[in-house]
Amino acid sequence: METLNHKEVINLLLQLATMLIVARVFAEVARKFKQPAVVGEILAGIIIGPTIFGSLFPAAQEYLFSSHPMSNIALDGFVQIAVVLLLFIAGLEVELQVVWNQGKNALKIAIASMVLPIIAGFVLAYAFPEFLGVNINDRIVASTFFGLAISITALAVVARILMDLNLFKTPTGLLIIAAAMIVDVLGWIVFSVILSLSESGSGGLGVWPTIGLTLFFTFFMLTLGKGLINKTLPWINKKLAWPGGLLSLSLASCFLAASFTEFIGIHAIFGAFIIGVALGDSEHLTEKAKEILHQFINNIFAPIFFLSIGLKVNFIAAFDPGIVGVVVIVGLLTKYWGAYIGGRFASLPRKKAMVVGFGLSTRGSMDIILGLIALENGLITEALFIGLVILALISSVSSGPLMGWAGKLKI
Amino acid sequence: MNWKIRLFEIPILAHMFTKIALAVAFSPRMEALLAETKRLVELFLSDLILIHVGEKTEELENEFQEVLRRHGLDIDRTTIIWKQGKPAKMILEACKESKVDLLVAGAMKEEGFLKYYMGSVGRKIIRKSPCSVLTLIDPKPETTSFSKVVLNGTQLEITPFVIAKGVVFSREVKAEQVHILNEIKMYGLQMGAASEDSEGEIAQTRRQLVQDEIDYVHEILKGIETNDLKINIKVTGGKWAIELGRFCKKIEADLLVVGDDQRLTFFDRLFPHDLEDLLSTLPCNLLILKI
Repeated sequence: METLNHKEVINLLLQLATMLIVARVFAEVARKFKQPAVVGEILAGIIIGPTIFGSLFPAAQEYLFSSHPMSNIALDGFVQIAVVLLLFIAGLEVELQVVWNQGKNALKIAIASMVLPIIAGFVLAYAFPEFLGVNINDRIVASTFFGLAISITALAVVARILMDLNLFKTPTGLLIIAAAMIVDVLGWIVFSVILSLSESGSGGLGVWPTIGLTLFFTFFMLTLGKGLINKTLPWINKKLAWPGGLLSLSLASCFLAASFTEFIGIHAIFGAFIIGVALGDSEHLTEKAKEILHQFINNIFAPIFFLSIGLKVNFIAAFDPGIVGVVVIVGLLTKYWGAYIGGRFASLPRKKAMVVGFGLSTRGSMDIILGLIALENGLITEALFIGLVILALISSVSSGPLMGWAGKLKI
Repeated sequence: MNWKIRLFEIPILAHMFTKIALAVAFSPRMEALLAETKRLVELFLSDLILIHVGEKTEELENEFQEVLRRHGLDIDRTTIIWKQGKPAKMILEACKESKVDLLVAGAMKEEGFLKYYMGSVGRKIIRKSPCSVLTLIDPKPETTSFSKVVLNGTQLEITPFVIAKGVVFSREVKAEQVHILNEIKMYGLQMGAASEDSEGEIAQTRRQLVQDEIDYVHEILKGIETNDLKINIKVTGGKWAIELGRFCKKIEADLLVVGDDQRLTFFDRLFPHDLEDLLSTLPCNLLILKI
């Protein structure tokens, strides 16, 4: 087995240490301004990446992040694992019972909040592929990808905002949470289907077998798979070390599911997400265990991933104000109006529908992962990816104040 | 915290159950079930409806009269309904037609209701019943003592009603201890979201989540006459149905009271949730209240 040499090990450790320290510093700054940690972590990446640190101190930046290719490969492995784990906890956050209890109203809001941005994004990207920077050779898939990327809601971020606004347990708060959960599930199913249609994403099984396997995998994991988890978890909790046994085996099952979905030609993260949903819905996975998983992944792996975005892209060199402007405006307006219309269809009064609209407009997690996958698969350009990141930053910063403002309106 | 407890919507509790029904299958356990039902009828000054699904014969009619006499039931306040057809459907139809408030059902292990009713018919009745259902897992001729009662206090729209009615029921059956169990909804997600904070803030969030649940129950209890009932509020962080089941088993509860404001369907069994979880285990006698 090939190993890293002495210098490469040092370089890798320095990379990780720098990333964790800078991400922590900026997350704390974001916290001081009552902003989600993800905002600080993304900004930290932009600052220590080629955009700022690389421009001011090119030699130091190059030594840290470009001098040892083997270290960079190892770092990429960390980032890949971070993405898989982020999707795993995103799945754990989905509670089918909450979705079930909120019923049709949450479904209406979730679907409307996705359909409008997907259609608008698709039409826009399909009509102006060169302007926006979507792959003209894979136009349908790339355009759908763009639409999907602007239709996602960041569940963890919106949960935090709702808690801060004291809205989490209110009917409106629960409706937003349930709708965001549905958006997550639908978003990743649509994502995996689109990816299987993409020329660069198909793993060789063919489109229809891949779609069939995806749907079968999802259904299996949420029914029989969940039953299997319910049978084995009590044994794990009782017989193995706690929480060590549970943590290692749940992560092992996450990686197994991720490798399976990667094998069938859709991205590994889909498997991680679905097993997260199945595991999180089990009554034997205690809330304490969920909390530990959250803390461990949110504070170690999430910063590494969100910061790594800034290392991959130069946010000044590839910045295109036209593209960013269009992405931000279309993204904000379509998501808000989609959710608002869904809320009105669900018979919500105007004020509550506005709160729901702003709530579901919160981004800053899965949408960035989606954008990054599209970038890595050559479906979108760096300029468009930057637009998606800026959309995520603006929406996650503005959602809370806008929800608070809408909630106080006298209408 | 912005509680939305609408106590004024709780129906007047003076008459807990105006009409109590029992489905009679002439099984060996019928005597015990009748004794249990008679006790409730007398406690709540209710009318009794006996439902029999099967052909009405002279022999059965005589048997019914004999049963009524043996149990000393008030014939003027007892109605016998004869139905023919599928048991579950007919029992539910009779309950609906007679505007029954509470249906008493047995769920025994040896025979009868568990196999016959709980296996398929019983569960169908609980899932689709238009009225409240009291499921007794081991009915006794000397009647069951509901000494330890557990109420579901988890924040749901129906919860103020469940607590109010559950407390009155506990008072009437002279329960020694009432436990109200609350689930903190999505505790893991909330604490995960709070993990961006400092240690002190996280501890404060944790305390606040627990305190919110206690305040919620206290707010409901304010409007209810509890007399000398000993009430204990317990807060958990799991899924309420599962936690209720575990808690009832742990304290060997005599009765669990939950609410149900929706009819369960096939999909609830495919993706089991809350009540369906509870029905699959039946940790103790179960009273499902419906508005």
